[in-house]
Amino acid sequence: MARVYTSSVINGSAQAVWDQVRDFNGLPKWHPSIADSRIEDGLAADQVGCIRDFHLQNGDQIREQLLGLSDYDMTCTYSILISPMPLTDYVATLRLTPITDGDRCFAEWSADFDCAAEDEEDLVTGIGNDVFQAGFDALKRHFGG
Amino acid sequence: MVKVVNSTVIRAPIDAVWHVLRDFNGHDRWHPAVDISQIERGRRSDMVGCVRSFKLADGSALREQLLALSDSQTSFSYCLLDTPVPLLNYVAHVELIPVTDGDRTFWRWQAEFSTPRGMQDELVDLVGNGIQIAGFEAIREITEGAAQAANLS
Repeated sequence: MARVYTSSVINGSAQAVWDQVRDFNGLPKWHPSIADSRIEDGLAADQVGCIRDFHLQNGDQIREQLLGLSDYDMTCTYSILISPMPLTDYVATLRLTPITDGDRCFAEWSADFDCAAEDEEDLVTGIGNDVFQAGFDALKRHFGG
Repeated sequence: MVKVVNSTVIRAPIDAVWHVLRDFNGHDRWHPAVDISQIERGRRSDMVGCVRSFKLADGSALREQLLALSDSQTSFSYCLLDTPVPLLNYVAHVELIPVTDGDRTFWRWQAEFSTPRGMQDELVDLVGNGIQIAGFEAIREITEGAAQAANLS
């Protein structure tokens, strides 16, 4: 089992950042790697179990299923159904925690998955930098720092 | 029952912050409110269940018991056994989480307790400002200075 963990500090209140990221269909609005997204079968984006079908800027297609969404804990958990990456059993969680010292929040994005041993390092680095940290960098720019 | 939670970000790696915080008997070396502290019955300070007996600068004596300690979660929990201040059923939890973006540390400190009628505001202020935030600032001074010196050298 491989694990990726990335965390950062966003200069916006946890609620403001959550408002931006809780939309399971909203990745193209804030993540620079995502070109388009739609929710399958006409479900609402906050209906647990819904599937988002989206494309990266390079054209790759990914389908992910919403496993859990909590407005109370500010967490979003999802799995990959189909992707071009050589991995299986991928489950990721995005979590926000308020920082009482200043109007900012602590953001964590982690994933567990299985893959061949020779692919692990590239996958861990690629997902950690290109997906998770790239998303945090975009949020940091959006919220000013 | 009231819950007081404060959190901050320390500009130092988590190992440096945890090194100072995990010693349950070490608070007299960093927390400005604590004068002297010792672990009862000659136990080690990382033995879960040990009791720290300590005095504040004003001479008041307190006893706290370590309920949980985890190096993998970088967290510990403790409760108050004896205190001159009416903090009742007081249980506190300290948790550190790494901020990978910039090699910093997120620190969350939570306390839950009951108070006698009419004393809640005063005691919430004591715990939030006098214990938690004062502790943040003391650790910030110790660890951020060391992290800065390490970067310069």
